[in-house]
Amino acid sequence: MKALTATEAVAAIEAGTLTAEAHVRQCLDRIAEREPVVKAWAHLDPELALAQAKAADAASAGVLRGIPLGVKDIIDTHDMPTGHNSPIFAGTQSFGDAACIALSRDANAVIMGKTVTTEFANRHPGPTTNPHNAAHTPGGSSSGSAAAVADGHVPLAFGTQTGGSVIRPAAYCGVVGYKPSFGEFSRVGIKMQCHSLDTLGLMARTLDDIALLRAVVLALPPVPVRRDGATPRIGFCRTPIWDDAEADTRELLERTASSLAATGATVVDVSFAPPFHGILEDHAAIMGFESTRNYADERLRNPDKVSAELMDGLTRGLDVPLERYVAAQRKAAAFKAHVDSLFDELDVLLCPSAPGEAPKGIEFTGDPRFNSIWTLAGTPCVTLPAGTGDMGLPLGVQLVGCRYEDDKLLSTAAWVAARL
Amino acid sequence: MSAPNTLTATEIARQIDAGTLSAEAVLRAHLDRIDQRDADVLAWSHLARDAALEKAKALDRGPRKGLLHGVPMGVKDIIDSYDQPTGYGSPIYKTHQPLADAATVALARDAGAILLGKTVTTEFANRFPGPTRNPHNPAHTPGGSSSGSAAAVADYQVTLATGTQTGGSVIRPAAFCGIVGYKPTYGHFPTAGMKANTEWLDTIGAYARSLDDIALFRAALMAIPYRPIEAPLSPPRIAVCYTHHKAELSPEGRAAVESAAAALAKAGAKVTEIDLPAPVSDMTAGQKTLSAFDGPRAHADEARRFQDLLSKSLREDKLAAGAKIDHTAWTAARRLGEHGRAAVDALFDDIDVILTAPAPGEAPVGLGFTGHATFNLLWTYLWMPCVTLPFTRGPNGLPVGIQLVGRQHEDARLLDLAAWVQGALR
Repeated sequence: MKALTATEAVAAIEAGTLTAEAHVRQCLDRIAEREPVVKAWAHLDPELALAQAKAADAASAGVLRGIPLGVKDIIDTHDMPTGHNSPIFAGTQSFGDAACIALSRDANAVIMGKTVTTEFANRHPGPTTNPHNAAHTPGGSSSGSAAAVADGHVPLAFGTQTGGSVIRPAAYCGVVGYKPSFGEFSRVGIKMQCHSLDTLGLMARTLDDIALLRAVVLALPPVPVRRDGATPRIGFCRTPIWDDAEADTRELLERTASSLAATGATVVDVSFAPPFHGILEDHAAIMGFESTRNYADERLRNPDKVSAELMDGLTRGLDVPLERYVAAQRKAAAFKAHVDSLFDELDVLLCPSAPGEAPKGIEFTGDPRFNSIWTLAGTPCVTLPAGTGDMGLPLGVQLVGCRYEDDKLLSTAAWVAARL
Repeated sequence: MSAPNTLTATEIARQIDAGTLSAEAVLRAHLDRIDQRDADVLAWSHLARDAALEKAKALDRGPRKGLLHGVPMGVKDIIDSYDQPTGYGSPIYKTHQPLADAATVALARDAGAILLGKTVTTEFANRFPGPTRNPHNPAHTPGGSSSGSAAAVADYQVTLATGTQTGGSVIRPAAFCGIVGYKPTYGHFPTAGMKANTEWLDTIGAYARSLDDIALFRAALMAIPYRPIEAPLSPPRIAVCYTHHKAELSPEGRAAVESAAAALAKAGAKVTEIDLPAPVSDMTAGQKTLSAFDGPRAHADEARRFQDLLSKSLREDKLAAGAKIDHTAWTAARRLGEHGRAAVDALFDDIDVILTAPAPGEAPVGLGFTGHATFNLLWTYLWMPCVTLPFTRGPNGLPVGIQLVGRQHEDARLLDLAAWVQGALR
């Protein structure tokens, strides 16, 4: 049986043809069948999920009435452990719910369980495999969330992105991933890595579901995705690292740009002004400087429980002088203004979601650089599934909108999705 | 010889290095002072007497650990500590014990600071006050929300303390209590482990009784090399700015800025008076929009599970007010902040530092109202570094300070300029 989207399930529950409990049971059955291979879950308590579903059925209200939601395991939950995929926090329980969890519960969502993250949303991987081919990574750091949504375990999940941790795994797993404008969603109760970059993001199988969950997390009325908008003006932004994309991805993007132009969209080539060609170095300086400080307690009090990969990164962060950090912050502010200006004449930018398909093996979660650029820019980003690559794994295209115009981006993405 | 609890951190570090003072003696002197004064000031929400003493002894046995070796520190109880309860000024968290240290706590401890205890905060660093009194006159507020930190440092109960500012919660209490307060450029002190209030504004800051101590503490909290303050040799260009809230200044607050400006001009500074450029001329409403919007989101868990344990002021001023703000107004406030920052940054081509009031005047009478943040909101919103220096006394004999505001990211230069100002005003 085909897994329902959140929007479909809400409609069926409202129509009385489905109960939240029955839907959650279907999802739990799917998890039981697939989890031995996919390994998307860090914590799952079926009884607790069913109890929430029954309560949602009884309440018979709420935007997400009984819809199950996967939660990346760096996001606090008051009734489930939050392990951060670190031995320091294994089995520990936070006092409260993160803001996004409390707001989801306000909408009567079912918090299904905690999904596998890399260690502290960094590089050291968890056990999750790509649901399309278990020999490949699902991407990271929001590995379990992307895999669980792709594999029909849940229709919705939370991830976080500091470099490329929402958009990349979503693309690798063939789902819709959404990183909002920087600062759009509250980060209260999410383990902090970099205060200037960390962004809560969403994963789903449709744009409508993204719009639904976005409204819940913003605690604002839902803004439906429009499909009757004007033909968009599209900037094809290959980015300064275009040559590092694989051939199938470059071909996909070129083909997409041509076919969108053929359907009537204005498509123009866009590139960053020369001062910003090295913008990824500024992202790295900010991430290094901030993460080593924000993880001070972990690296100083529990150094033997921090992976060698993470400790190496944190040690490098200590080598970033304050002057370099400040220069990067100033460059980032100028870059935001520069990217804003690109939208004077354009509605959306088209660019790769990742360099290519999900790499083989689960040790390396892939290259985040096609995402880090936009995380630093603070722009809203969406990845849409766009066929498969040379190895038969999903490819995505990334659409980037103007800061704070996230609703418009989702509608523009729907226009593009209808023509992919 | 001065009692060790009246020494600055810089002096404590020097004497411990020289072997003329022990961390244990420093700590005991502070505990004695707290024994005498705690009932009158009520600055602490948790005091770790025994653990702090053990830590002092351990530091005395070992090699020099860092910049703050043996220096007692208070931490605002909105900032997590793994070994001391953290109550956020709310009955919801009365017995809450975090799993980890906040980044600033971990970094200060790594530099050898001793966490003496957690200091009283208003509820979630908002408006509902704690029990702390102004050490200069217990009938007056110490200011807030970092009430306990400012009072404890002013009263010689601790050498250094951290606070947080979303509106005016570091600078205002420092001015009311007559100490040096420093709010860094937004984002410079790492915020992991701080209970968020408004993410676009929240800034961890520092309290001390000397500017040198602020520089020392800053280096430890940022894990950057320490460079002692160096006052510039030539007089700076100082822009007096009353903001468009000049009418809200009390006579003593205004007189302090005027007489400081006159004295600095006499000492050779090029003193001018400026109005802020157009986008910045009134940003108060924008700051309030940002702060209110975050209310029902940042506190969604408390509102959902513990509604009855929230104060009326939090429920009405933050949660209900924030629920009425739409996305368009919120986005306008976020954009206004960016435009304002760009506009005000350009001012610094022609000036070195802004001189303004840190608060409308003396600390108000009573403990129910922690004072207006009018003269702080703007700079917090603009992400600019601020320092307040004690300057004079008002009609009630309470401290009245001045505030210096620097260019975003140029915090070390602001502290250097503040040293010049302090020297010129002596």
